[in-house]
Amino acid sequence: MSRPRIPYNPLTRTGRVLWCMALAAFSAVLMLFWSPAHADDSEALRAESPYFAVNSSEPGTDRLPLKSTDVNVKIAGVIADVTVTQHYRNEGQRPIEARYVFPGSTQAAVHAMTVKLGGRVLTARIKEKEQARIEYQAAKREGKTSALLEQRRPNVFEMNVANILPGDDVAVELRYTELLRPTDAQYGFVFPTVVGPRYNSPSAAAHNGGAIGGAYLKQGTASNAPLTLRVVLDTPLPVRAVASPSHEVMIDGIGSTHAAVSLKPSEQPANNRDFILNYRLAGDRIEAGLVLYRGTPDDGDEGGAENFFLAMVEPPKAVAPREINPRDYIFVVDISGSMHGYPLETAKVLLRNLIGGLRPSDTFNVMLFSGSNRMLAPASVPATRANIEQAIRTINEMGGGGSTEIVPALKRVAALPKAEEVSRSVIFVTDGYVSVEAEVFRLIRQNLNQFNVFSFGIGTSVNRHLIEGMARAGQGEAFIVTKPEQAAAQAERLRRIIETPVLTQVKASFEGIDAYDVEPLQLPDVLGGRPVVVFGKWRGEWAGKFVLEGRAADGPYRQVLTALPDGQGPSALRQLWARQRIAALSDQEALEGGSTQKAQITELGLRYSLLTPYTSFIAVDQRVRNSNPSQTQPVDQPSPLPEGVSNHAIGAEVPSTPEPGAIAALLVVLGIVIAGVWPSRRRRRKE
Amino acid sequence: MATAFIATHPLGRWQARCEALSPLAWLGLQAAALWPHWRWAGARLADGSDDPLGLAALAALGLWVAQREPLLRGSPRRAWAFASAAVTIMATLALFFLPPLLGAVLAVLALAAGLRSVMPSGQPWLPVAGLAVLALPVVSSLQFYAGYPLRVVTAEISTWVLQLAGLAAERSGTAMLVEGELVIVDAPCSGVQMVWMAYFCACAVAAFSGLRDRAMLARLPLVGLLVLAGNVLRNSVLVTLEAQQASVSEAVHQGVGLVVLLAVCGAVVAVMRGGRDAQA
Repeated sequence: MSRPRIPYNPLTRTGRVLWCMALAAFSAVLMLFWSPAHADDSEALRAESPYFAVNSSEPGTDRLPLKSTDVNVKIAGVIADVTVTQHYRNEGQRPIEARYVFPGSTQAAVHAMTVKLGGRVLTARIKEKEQARIEYQAAKREGKTSALLEQRRPNVFEMNVANILPGDDVAVELRYTELLRPTDAQYGFVFPTVVGPRYNSPSAAAHNGGAIGGAYLKQGTASNAPLTLRVVLDTPLPVRAVASPSHEVMIDGIGSTHAAVSLKPSEQPANNRDFILNYRLAGDRIEAGLVLYRGTPDDGDEGGAENFFLAMVEPPKAVAPREINPRDYIFVVDISGSMHGYPLETAKVLLRNLIGGLRPSDTFNVMLFSGSNRMLAPASVPATRANIEQAIRTINEMGGGGSTEIVPALKRVAALPKAEEVSRSVIFVTDGYVSVEAEVFRLIRQNLNQFNVFSFGIGTSVNRHLIEGMARAGQGEAFIVTKPEQAAAQAERLRRIIETPVLTQVKASFEGIDAYDVEPLQLPDVLGGRPVVVFGKWRGEWAGKFVLEGRAADGPYRQVLTALPDGQGPSALRQLWARQRIAALSDQEALEGGSTQKAQITELGLRYSLLTPYTSFIAVDQRVRNSNPSQTQPVDQPSPLPEGVSNHAIGAEVPSTPEPGAIAALLVVLGIVIAGVWPSRRRRRKE
Repeated sequence: MATAFIATHPLGRWQARCEALSPLAWLGLQAAALWPHWRWAGARLADGSDDPLGLAALAALGLWVAQREPLLRGSPRRAWAFASAAVTIMATLALFFLPPLLGAVLAVLALAAGLRSVMPSGQPWLPVAGLAVLALPVVSSLQFYAGYPLRVVTAEISTWVLQLAGLAAERSGTAMLVEGELVIVDAPCSGVQMVWMAYFCACAVAAFSGLRDRAMLARLPLVGLLVLAGNVLRNSVLVTLEAQQASVSEAVHQGVGLVVLLAVCGAVVAVMRGGRDAQA
């Protein structure tokens, strides 16, 4: 039985044309007035992601002006002299201003910067920070090529280069010196290549003036600015073993006093993790000794030349641990988003080794923190097998996510009750991607009578300023674990250190020398394998001795150092002493809050030509090169993410599978409906 | 008899004038009575809180009515007219007691019943009522109420599919961990938009093809299954790509989504047309 036909009239040819026109008009109205932000939520979410923050929309503007970074390192004895040259080139059609955030060593004393432009060399001057900024802005407005180097944090620098004209190749060269402090007779040099994205809590952001680390490339995206690096070692004893746990290197001169190391060409990017070079000298001893530098009028010191000394003393070997008092260990583990993946897995290995190695007389607790924190138990529990297994189960279950609220975690640790006779050690495990270092140091210092702090930095490019600063403030030691396979060894090293401090009640004195401005003012306990390092100034003729005394595990300890009085040591001692003093003042400022040490730090920075929180390097070309500086495009040079750090760390959107845009989908469906209905209309017309 | 009465009495003259009005005018009056609901829908559309997809359904409905306008009855069917009046009253009362969306659904159903009362026999009502409901701003509400379950179901079935394909996949809530990569099935991935598109497609094809209500009702569950299968397919393909590449471009997302939507809606048309063609 056929259904009754519908007696309606088909559209005429004119009607069909009008109908198509109406449909087209309808589609056009949708396209014009339908806000895409409302049409597709996924679009809106993507637009808020923070990566690839390139401001320029000009098609011809070069988005990535940093072309290469060349690093030359000369290590003489225990002092490294590092020259970093960065080439910027504008391959676009309009002048640009390049902004680039990059890392430095925590111990670096940045003392010189030059800008090479078109065969000319501009030597930067050290200026008070605000003054340098004003001069830079003025030069930028006037169309002069200029460069400004500022210290964002002790190990994070920001380079601004204004008025890079199309076709310009600008080479910015900065120099710093660094003291290499050996551990277990092994020397280590570290060149950080990338700043890890730091978590900025809302309160910290207000103090820091915004995010740290600038723009980032997405996970797995390599930078197009290659890194070349060459290290030359000149040592008093033959170099016995050289290795890089971070990169593949080519080594020449093993067994001689002159060795050279360079990066092996590789398809893999070299600039997404710290470059680490370890070496030993023949004899397996720390190069202990006393080095003098006699100042000259060329140093530019006001009020006469100054003389400097550096003493490095190898401590006694550790003896077997004796019966010691029960100890309490609080393990504080960062489980924030940046720890997601390999860092957290490494932390688990580390904790399993640490906790598994505790003695039954020890007590311990575990705190896991990210945006909030939680404890394994309300109070510390004995390190019994059952408790250790429970802790390891808890650790195995944790996953990375959320922010890095380290300050509340620290406050909670400080508030934990503790018996007086118990020695408490707090072991922080984190990548340090936060920006509240000063507050952390202050809290640790305020609670020094409660605990010692040992900090484990885990990751390929951890925030060493935080990790080392925590240990310094907490009179403990810092450990950096860049690979999972290092975790067990570092855990063993920590346990050895905690069990057997090799030298306590350490004092440095001088016989027959007018020494002053000695750094550090108080020497901490000496833990296994680390030398005692003392900087200072001296007056008059050097005709005396440097004496180090303390109490070792097997009785009183005394070591006397003498030096040749010729004062022919490296001039870098000036900057290294000043850097040490600035670090001490900065720690003091962090403790007191505000800018209490600003005047002294600024004075030291200007006097010794050092980059500090209050001084910057500025170089200005006196020629006006850009006739229309208002058209200059600012370009944020994105950095690669540290190896092993996922997009979670920069709050990047987790991949999802959104549906197609509504407009396109609707047009597809309308087409299908028309195609579906049309045959029946034609059939009916025929009938 | 009645004609003589109308001709001589004022009330009768008014009745005659009323009967002379176009059925669409009556429907217009009914729509005017339900104005608060349209105002709410318009406001929701204008403030961007919902996708304006409903305009397409409204346009399709308008086109369908315009085509059949010459066939409209002068006097409404009593049963449908009563039903329409009752639902209109319910919609009005809903202004005080129910959420606006439910009130608006009652309002469009009242209007659809009114339309049905003046339509000639043999005309489908269900697809018309469906188009009327789809004309409302329902997508964000669907997303709110049905989005999460759809996401869970999609993620779960996608996980099975990927496991069958030999990939390491597991679901946690509406997130999937595939080959170590975390991919989430969030609100824009739920498939709610595909649900709207597929039912719009079904209603529009059924309405313009004259598919009977009973036949359409029997086929609607199949539409739901097609949507679910399509969304699982789309999600599985994209999750696999996300898990194997550092990032998947927007064009790939769009392309895969549109191809799957095309296939799903094509199948919906085939389902709706199949019976019609056979009957024809």
